[in-house]
Amino acid sequence: MADYRRAKWAAWADHVRGQDDPAKNFEKPEALDDLVVIDISSRSLAGCYCSSLLAELGAETIRIEPPGGDLVRTYSPNGIMVKDTGLAYLQEGRNKHHVTLNMETAEGREMFKCFIGAADVLIETYPAGKMDAWGLGYEELSKINPRLIMCSITGFGQFGPESGRQQYDYDNVSQARSAVQYGTGEVLPEGKTVKDMPWAVPTKAGPHIAWAVSGTFGAMGILSALYHRDNTGEGQAIDICTPEAYGRLHDYQLMWYAHAGVTAERFSSLDTALWLYGFYPTKDGGVFLGGLRLEMWKAFVDIIGKYDEWKAEEWTTLAPFMKKDWQLKYQAMINPETSKYTSEELTAKSVEYAKSGRLAPITPVVAEIVSPWKAMHDENWQDRGMFTPVQDPVYGSIICAQSQWKATETPPRTKWACRPVGYDNGHIYLYYFGYGPVKIKELQDKGII
Amino acid sequence: MTVFKNYAETKNKKPGPLSGLRVLEVCTLLFGPAGPSFLAGLGADVIKIELPPAGDVTRSLNPFGWFYKEQGPMFMHINPDKYYLALDLHIDMAQQIFKELCAKADVVEFNLRPAVTNRWNIGYEDIKKVNPGIIYIEKNGFGQWGRYAEEDRPSNDGAAQALSGYAWMSSFGGQPPLKQSIWICDVYGAMMGEVAVMAALHHRKRTGKGQYIEMSQSENIMRAMGWVWPYQQVTRTHAEPSGNRDQCICPADTFLCKDGTFAALAAPAPDEFKGLCAAMGKPELSGDARFKEHTERLKTENALAILKIIADWAVTKTADEIEKLGIKHGFAATRLHTAKDECEDPHRRARGAVKEIDDPMYGKYVDHEIPINMSKTPPKHRWTVRPVGFDNDYIMSKILGRSQQQIAELYGHGVLGKWKDQQGRRPPSDWDGQSGCILRR
Repeated sequence: MADYRRAKWAAWADHVRGQDDPAKNFEKPEALDDLVVIDISSRSLAGCYCSSLLAELGAETIRIEPPGGDLVRTYSPNGIMVKDTGLAYLQEGRNKHHVTLNMETAEGREMFKCFIGAADVLIETYPAGKMDAWGLGYEELSKINPRLIMCSITGFGQFGPESGRQQYDYDNVSQARSAVQYGTGEVLPEGKTVKDMPWAVPTKAGPHIAWAVSGTFGAMGILSALYHRDNTGEGQAIDICTPEAYGRLHDYQLMWYAHAGVTAERFSSLDTALWLYGFYPTKDGGVFLGGLRLEMWKAFVDIIGKYDEWKAEEWTTLAPFMKKDWQLKYQAMINPETSKYTSEELTAKSVEYAKSGRLAPITPVVAEIVSPWKAMHDENWQDRGMFTPVQDPVYGSIICAQSQWKATETPPRTKWACRPVGYDNGHIYLYYFGYGPVKIKELQDKGII
Repeated sequence: MTVFKNYAETKNKKPGPLSGLRVLEVCTLLFGPAGPSFLAGLGADVIKIELPPAGDVTRSLNPFGWFYKEQGPMFMHINPDKYYLALDLHIDMAQQIFKELCAKADVVEFNLRPAVTNRWNIGYEDIKKVNPGIIYIEKNGFGQWGRYAEEDRPSNDGAAQALSGYAWMSSFGGQPPLKQSIWICDVYGAMMGEVAVMAALHHRKRTGKGQYIEMSQSENIMRAMGWVWPYQQVTRTHAEPSGNRDQCICPADTFLCKDGTFAALAAPAPDEFKGLCAAMGKPELSGDARFKEHTERLKTENALAILKIIADWAVTKTADEIEKLGIKHGFAATRLHTAKDECEDPHRRARGAVKEIDDPMYGKYVDHEIPINMSKTPPKHRWTVRPVGFDNDYIMSKILGRSQQQIAELYGHGVLGKWKDQQGRRPPSDWDGQSGCILRR
């Protein structure tokens, strides 16, 4: 990595790195390596993301697919497949064993019950009622294993007037149903139509975020249920509904409607509730600018050389800038100023201002809006181990985003990227059932695995 | 599931899953404080520690000048179900009190710039000495080490959206990157921080060992961007955004409908795709060689072709009609929901996902429930925020056994503080001077 000037507190940075550098992850114990997780999720990556979180923490995770593989295997831009697997699943197969089991057969369902006897956690994403119809609802399974924690992640939840809808949970549909998409996107100028500007519409967010959010709420539920089980010995059922889960991030907008009757409309890349806070153009792209305290906003105005002209000295509160018309007015004044610089120049100016500016050490947040290509090649993230490829025994060297956090004692880690359909039938059925090659052949011939 | 019968009505009769857990938070804005609130909803006792007299910056924030009884609505949404202590951690005596609290806590959370906790003598090494089992987490923009951290770059949600490539991937192709209307990198990072904390609690249960956790909000969101990274590795090209079209699933997009509103639908599985084609009155499409197999349909030119056909059909139907056809023909479809739906939807109300909070200080108001339903230990959002330092006496007496005279001395030294007479910091103007006080009224 290119040299950079070390901070005054470099000793602290070195100390922490010495304790939690992901390069040393494999020398450390794992938080959840006493658990067995069964993931039988279908069509939805929310369940797979949820089980990835547990698998990255060391849980023995067994992914059950129908013979031929689950539909999520095919999720991939332009239909690109690496061996038998699409790129989306190549991220969320990580650390899991993969077996096949035909749940449409009575024998398959009996074998599933045997897994439940050994499991701590079950994750599923079928429309509500499907598991019950198979005789594998929570009521049945908890009789086999009262310690079982069963987490269902669906589009409509396990109860409530619409929970009988037999539709699967898809990320884009849940984003639309969360109410978040409605208020996100470019503003359609008066006099224009969607036909003129097809991009000025309610816009969903990046790759599968609603699924990631509901999967993560699922993991929170599972881990908290585990805490309760550690104290009491009892398992339980957990119900996550993806539009509700993603909608929980809608913040004040529910209150705003309930108590002031306001529905927040699209506001492009400005922020209905924050100033200075938005995306601004530069010579070579754009930057995010943030300064939520008056001094930070003033510091920004100083950086672009407008401190005197705009009379920043006289400002005593941010309150007027929160108003919509002021936001639009100042946005129009800022745009030509930021356009004079490259993103890198503006970022450097902010870092420099913190050292020598009139309001130093106060400085605004300036962050270049980068492509994922640039992010993936950014030395800072590479140095922190974010994109260290996984050396997968079947799929080869695969770049996965590495785990969400670093830790001194039980950091999450990625051991392999994925497994082909049914790849672990031999090992897992031998380990959990004592079924050897002859029995497995027999089950295969009957179409059960 | 019968275990969820009468769930919303009976949840208050059951404990939360984290009952008995004690959490300290020294956090401001959104990324930091949002996390402990989830633990509070799950039943933990969370003590929010603010610097007196102004406290958390979020108390000032508001959409276009709208406050709820002088309080910032996002402060209320992000910080419910906590106790409010105001301790000036710049002062040595306050640092000592903080350590006493840590000795009696399970988890402590920060979102300060790197090395600040160390400067305040409450870094992990200091706290570990008084409580080796402590789970200690620091969340911020760039972590505690690496170039960006050492440059002391400030960060927040918008910066993380920009630096991770997330905003880039959330726009339409050929258009500038789009910032989200929600603070996704803050709140999603906050959630993930609690996953880290709870996993560490399980390890502590097994071994007695605590640990130190650091999280960067940009790194967290990158992990959720999934296919983007191997795509760039495999194709050696940039991943590009595609607006409302899900590039991994086909068809999956948002469509303009007859009534000028929008509907989103998805139908990748064979049964779903057949159902959609039938609903469109074009059953032959499900057998078309371009569309029959999902992997073939995903090829960009095929995907764009089928989406064009669906778009031409969607604009002849209302969004409601499309949603109903989805139910009838077995594919996923919904009209676009708004905050009005969020508030009034009978399904959300029946599930208790949207609930009326009955707060001693702020009265009745509407907010989200924690969106995790648990049959034995339901999480519960119970009360809202308090003024800066509102629960000082209660915390100091109940946990540290300080007498009224000792507490008065701490106020005298500026160690403990109370709210400034300013919007968002002080109680609402209709407060009776008593409601919500725990120790003494």
